[in-house]
Amino acid sequence: MPRAVPRARAVARCPRQAQDSGESDDTLEPRVVASDLRRDTSNMSFEELLELQSHVGTKTYKQLVAGNSSKKPNSRPSVQSACVSDKHRPLEMSAKVRVPFLRQVVPISKKVARDPRFDDLSGEYNPEVFDKTYQFLNDIRAKEKELVKKQLKKHHSGEKHEKLQQLLQRMEQQEKAEQERKRQQELRLTLKQERRAQAQQGHRPYFLKKSEQRQLTLAEKFKELKRSKKLESFLSRKRRRNAGKDRRHLPLSKE
Amino acid sequence: AHSLAPRRTEEEEEEELEETAQEKKLRLAKLYLEQLRQQEEEKAEARAFEEDQVAGRLKEDVLEQRGRLQKSVAKEIQAPAPADIRVLRGHQLSITCLVITPDDSAIFSAAKDCTIIKWSVESGRKLHVIPRAKKGTEGQPPGHSSHILCMAISSDGKYLASGDRSKLILIWEAQSCRHLYTFTGHRDAVSGLAFRRGTHQLYSTSHDRSVKVWNVAENSYVETLFGHQDAVAALDALSRECCVTAGGRDGTVRVWKIPEESQLVFYGHQGSIDCIHLINEEHMVSGADDGSVALWGLSKKRPLALQREAHGLRGEPGLEQPFWVSSVAALLNTDLVATGSHSSCVRLWQCGEGFRRLDHLCDIPLVGFINSLKFSSAGDFLVAGVGQEHRLGRWWRIKEARNSVCIIPLPRAPEPAAAGS
Repeated sequence: MPRAVPRARAVARCPRQAQDSGESDDTLEPRVVASDLRRDTSNMSFEELLELQSHVGTKTYKQLVAGNSSKKPNSRPSVQSACVSDKHRPLEMSAKVRVPFLRQVVPISKKVARDPRFDDLSGEYNPEVFDKTYQFLNDIRAKEKELVKKQLKKHHSGEKHEKLQQLLQRMEQQEKAEQERKRQQELRLTLKQERRAQAQQGHRPYFLKKSEQRQLTLAEKFKELKRSKKLESFLSRKRRRNAGKDRRHLPLSKE
Repeated sequence: AHSLAPRRTEEEEEEELEETAQEKKLRLAKLYLEQLRQQEEEKAEARAFEEDQVAGRLKEDVLEQRGRLQKSVAKEIQAPAPADIRVLRGHQLSITCLVITPDDSAIFSAAKDCTIIKWSVESGRKLHVIPRAKKGTEGQPPGHSSHILCMAISSDGKYLASGDRSKLILIWEAQSCRHLYTFTGHRDAVSGLAFRRGTHQLYSTSHDRSVKVWNVAENSYVETLFGHQDAVAALDALSRECCVTAGGRDGTVRVWKIPEESQLVFYGHQGSIDCIHLINEEHMVSGADDGSVALWGLSKKRPLALQREAHGLRGEPGLEQPFWVSSVAALLNTDLVATGSHSSCVRLWQCGEGFRRLDHLCDIPLVGFINSLKFSSAGDFLVAGVGQEHRLGRWWRIKEARNSVCIIPLPRAPEPAAAGS
């Protein structure tokens, strides 16, 4: 089945549009199969044939009349093999491809979205550096806490009050967590310095075991609780929880 | 055989006689052969001479086809005296384009007043005027009703084609200026026309960004080619079945290979490429509105030579802008190029070796917008179409200029004159 090379309008169908344009307006016309067109051309009078020729152009008309598809529409200049000398040669393109009406005059660059959390450009997370560079955030956090407290004074009940309450609690918890983290960091730092001092003096550096670390932290916690007088409540809660856990290990009472 | 002694003298005599007779025969035979040989030599010489001539001519043709036939005439050119420039006045508005008939006897010029005038080169008189046609009404003598942007004449001097802003191409018989055909089909102003040398095939281009091929002898439209991305400004063609277009704001010069339905794209100018002319089958020269003139070869996508600010700078100090190059012309198969702008001179340039350089030769003083330049086929004179305004619009108006056709003789230092193609 030969491809519909001539995008010709069947002049028999619309003879009125004869003088509009010399070129076929193929954006509007449906593609006609060459064999159908040939059947149409055999029925057309001589004047209609001449009109068709003037619309479509003598080249395509001759192809149509000859009927053979020897001149394939795909005989475009083949892609040249890429070699160095071809870089300087002019670009060879097909001359039968219609160019769209709108063209890009200014090169438009797409905006690339970057997430700094996953971007390599942001570097690795270093807590000390982070704290130092974002120190100013602590002031902002304090100010925001003041604001929330003021708001809380205004609303004493209702949904707003609860929300503010939760917000305040969240802020305080975050602050405490921050401080805890800082404390841990300082502890580690002091230990490191101690080790360095020891090493300088000549002793071998001693690294604490996990169990020893846990004991130390427990001792610190004990001291802290004692200072803030919450030791009793903490201990009682701990006992209750342990009791609950231990009950699991008791043998199941079978009747 | 030598006989015995007693019979010798007789036999010798006989032999001598016989030998003389034989010798005579031999002599005569040799003479005859000599004559024959001489005759044959003469004949062979004549044939060889003929063959050389024919061979030489064929060689010339082949070189011309390949774009390598090159006569360097530029160095012989001298600047003409201003008094020798003939000014032919007759148009009322600015001249937009002109063509010279192939036998250098007449010039056709078209202007913004929509008239075409045929001038005689020798006498400078008007041979024929094709007046403007009124828009809309029918039953009128054929003519243009809007600015004529381009014209072309076939290489046998038979047909003249002219294209205007109302999307029409009118075909005239060049000798009698009789209207023959009208080609419709373009969707915007027709901006470039050229006949293929030796044929009646017409190439046209337009502001609708297409290139169309027509057959004037058969009064038919052949095909359309696409590729330009903005209105095309000019078109030129030689004897190959391909044409070259200047793409205007597109920034490209494209060579269209029509039998293969493909195009070659060249880049290099920064401004809008307004005019283009083929120097030979392989090289062309183009001018842009940033004042640059470029020489191109078919094998390189960038210009072989680029001359920036070819006509200098204009304007107040500190706000200088280059003069727009409004027309270029080249003498066929030579190294002479002429460019025109509104810098009150026509500049002649010489193309360097291998078209890799463009050297300024001389200036010809001429006030006004040089909207069109054409060399005669023999290279004797250069014709310039001068106007008070640019051919495409009215950005400036030079009051001192005269709307005229100027014939500039090109005197040469005495050397064997280069024959035209």
